[in-house]
Amino acid sequence: MNETEPPKDPVRYIDSNVYLPYHYVAGDYRAKYLRALKDKKILGSKCSKTGKVFVMPIVNSPESFAPCDEFVEVADRGIVTTFCIVNIPVIGRSLEIPYVAASVALDGADISIFALIQEIKAEDARMGMRVEAVWKPDGERQGDHEDILHFRPTGEPDAPMESFIHRL
Amino acid sequence: MKRPTAVVGVGQTQHAARRADLSIPGLIREAVDRALLDAGLGHDDIDAIVIGKAPDMLEGIAQPEQFLVGALGGHMKPVIRVHTAGSVGASTAIAAMTHVASGLYDRILTVAFEKQSEGNAMWALSPNMPFTPPLVAGAGGFFAPYCRAYIQKTGCPPHIGPVTAANARANGARNPYAHLREPMSVEDVMNSPVLWDPIRYGETCPSSDGAIALVIANEETAKKGPRKPAWIKGAASYAEAMWVPGRDQVSPSAGKICAKHVYEQAGIQDPWNDIQTAEIYVPFAWFEAMWLENLGFCDEGEGWKIIDRGEQKFGAHLPINPSGGVLCSNPIGASGMLRLGEAALQVMGRAGEHQVDGVRNALGHAYGGGAQYFAMWVVGTEL
Amino acid sequence: MSTLRNVAFVGFAQLPVVARDEHRMATEMLYPVVVDALRQVGASRDDIDYQVSASTDYMDGRPFGFVAALDVMGSWPARQDLHLEMDGSFAAYYAWVKIQTGEVDTAIVCTHGKTSEGEPERVFNLQLEPYYHAPIGIGPTASAALQASAYMARTGTTDADLAARAARNRAAGVGNSDNQVRDAASAQQLQGSPWAIEPLRSGYVPPIGETATCLVMAAEGKAEKLCDRPVWIQGVDHRAELQTLGSRDLTRSAGTALAAKKALAMANVGSARDVDLVELLSVTPVEELILLDALGLDAAASTPVVNPSGGPLCAHPIMSTGSIRLGEAFRQLSGRAGDRGVAGAKRAIAHGAQGHCLQQNIVWVLGTEKRWA
Repeated sequence: MNETEPPKDPVRYIDSNVYLPYHYVAGDYRAKYLRALKDKKILGSKCSKTGKVFVMPIVNSPESFAPCDEFVEVADRGIVTTFCIVNIPVIGRSLEIPYVAASVALDGADISIFALIQEIKAEDARMGMRVEAVWKPDGERQGDHEDILHFRPTGEPDAPMESFIHRL
Repeated sequence: MKRPTAVVGVGQTQHAARRADLSIPGLIREAVDRALLDAGLGHDDIDAIVIGKAPDMLEGIAQPEQFLVGALGGHMKPVIRVHTAGSVGASTAIAAMTHVASGLYDRILTVAFEKQSEGNAMWALSPNMPFTPPLVAGAGGFFAPYCRAYIQKTGCPPHIGPVTAANARANGARNPYAHLREPMSVEDVMNSPVLWDPIRYGETCPSSDGAIALVIANEETAKKGPRKPAWIKGAASYAEAMWVPGRDQVSPSAGKICAKHVYEQAGIQDPWNDIQTAEIYVPFAWFEAMWLENLGFCDEGEGWKIIDRGEQKFGAHLPINPSGGVLCSNPIGASGMLRLGEAALQVMGRAGEHQVDGVRNALGHAYGGGAQYFAMWVVGTEL
Repeated sequence: MSTLRNVAFVGFAQLPVVARDEHRMATEMLYPVVVDALRQVGASRDDIDYQVSASTDYMDGRPFGFVAALDVMGSWPARQDLHLEMDGSFAAYYAWVKIQTGEVDTAIVCTHGKTSEGEPERVFNLQLEPYYHAPIGIGPTASAALQASAYMARTGTTDADLAARAARNRAAGVGNSDNQVRDAASAQQLQGSPWAIEPLRSGYVPPIGETATCLVMAAEGKAEKLCDRPVWIQGVDHRAELQTLGSRDLTRSAGTALAAKKALAMANVGSARDVDLVELLSVTPVEELILLDALGLDAAASTPVVNPSGGPLCAHPIMSTGSIRLGEAFRQLSGRAGDRGVAGAKRAIAHGAQGHCLQQNIVWVLGTEKRWA
């Protein structure tokens, strides 16, 4: 490299790649929830004051400000309260597009989870549709999120809007 | 105890997909220099800096305000950095106002910026949250389900989103600072690809580089001029929890509570008639209808009808986002302050081609998080 | 000096600082701390008008990480709120400013963040200007070492001097059950520790820890109801300097000197020598010497007592460390410091800082008496 002359064009950009490793703690609550998935159980935490159930489990109910120190099982089926159909890819994700990303109110839970809906044509997805979890087969589940592959329609009649419009 | 405050200077950058002509300090200086010039003040007149921006991952620099102290004119001054997600630009301006309202400071320079072309915005906004299934694909992926719920609940017809978007672009054409200024017809929007059903590409905000700076001052400074100030008659920032059973994500309570607080402070009893224009945070076209309701401009379920009747267009009863809004320019950290700053420009009579006639009161509004953070102010021509 | 509202610290809660809490996520650590702080003052969450939180996305390793704190801070119904990407001491400052407007009377100031999830030396390298500084690869320890080198060259301070200062902090920290490091160490032992980054030995820099904290603040009229011995804010000021390491005299903290001058003037206190104790956010013994200098204090003097808590050398949960300085000053002046209490203490200085080489500094003057009649 010629050190004696300045570059002909001014330097306009520098590339800087950021590499930062993070090693996260799941916390006892999240860990308990994840481990239960191995046994095909979905756990929520229950508010000690109001009895409302939160999935995924949280340490306190923001509504009552009381601790949620009891774990209860909720059903692995529920209602699609609302959803969108995703048509754009995200770096580092391999989901085939289009896919339905939905807010699902599981039976027994007082808040909804975000879940992938498959085994359905995207345009057939509806608010109020009843869905059930599709689990990884016995022996393959590891106690992580991928133990639930996705949710699929159960074929039951749709839930009426009044029953879920406040559980979005 | 709470002293009157006013916006006495506004400066913003040319917003664009990529400001390759400037570094981050340069972008800040473009806005800061313009704001100080506008206010007829110099750095020596400024008591402190309050700066805000959205996640630092957007530029790959942690707490960039630290290396920007020089560009901000902040050496040996108090510098405060705010971060409240999408609403940050607005909550920053309000925090700056609070400094002056406390009586501790006379003149604050407040800045909000984002130079997201320097990082990868989509990645920075779609974090793979540990121990959570990676489903959310950008902010649109999070909000699209609630837009759908609004449409279902209210029977809002499918053309409302496209009409809103087309109108925003028509407004952007009148704003020389806007990033997107080319007109777009309702048909263009309807024909654009659907990104996260029901949100289309044409209904989605761009990714922009941009900055805005305001000088907020006390009564004495404001009355001295050189410009007619925008008096800050009411301002507040609120936030609510996420996991509240039955939380309304279509018309969040934090938004309603914040608006009520601000209207009370500002003496606004009938928003539809007491406010002549509003700059509200609409990153996806459907939110315009939703926020019109949340902000009390109409009854619940009626927001889309205002758009259907064209009452929010430039020149109509309540022009919404005469600057083009977030749909035309979205440097994320700056957008909230752009709303509040544009509202100030309207009241100051300095919005040029996009000036609304006869503005006495203007609303500036922003939101962020999972629709949890709300920050807004009402500015007026009179104290 | 115009009359301001008298505002006090009325409560402080924290978790003991640990290297890594294996059981709780960052915001989960905050919940019990908010509950404890409210219990201390006998208030419900609804009794508190305002909330400010402080944390950094980069340390959290996720953008918007602070949003989850809303739930554990009891943000329902919606609360008036602000979040700063700064050390907790600056968040407390903003809460003070807000209370001065008269719009609110009480506030909680919370910090959270798990330093153990990332690598602070790498993370905080990214605070540096991205063209010339960051690519060199220096983290906060390296920049502190640069500052130490310069300081020792100018003043003739020796390795032994640093060891003695560090040993003093370690001795003070022994009785404080909230510290991560609770064993004493002699100057000889510390001077025998290997270099972390020369001229800073590993014995002169803290291990990085994590915690969650909550300060409760209240204006006159409410403060007396929430605490038997409120600790009144008599003066406070903060200043930022240019980050560029070559552009300022790293051997002196001009920002701290100016902030102290203004804070003491507000407090109507002649000099820092008139206070009984100082809690400094001095991560290394060199920073401690620089800060004492900036405050106009003689490092060899026995009063005011410096870092009776053991200081950041014994517990450094980055971004919460400033709140802990305030919390320790609160404990001292409200008679809650137990065995480490400085007898008869009536006034304290609490210092907070962030950024490489003490770039931003805040100085609080606190006392058992109200400042304004």
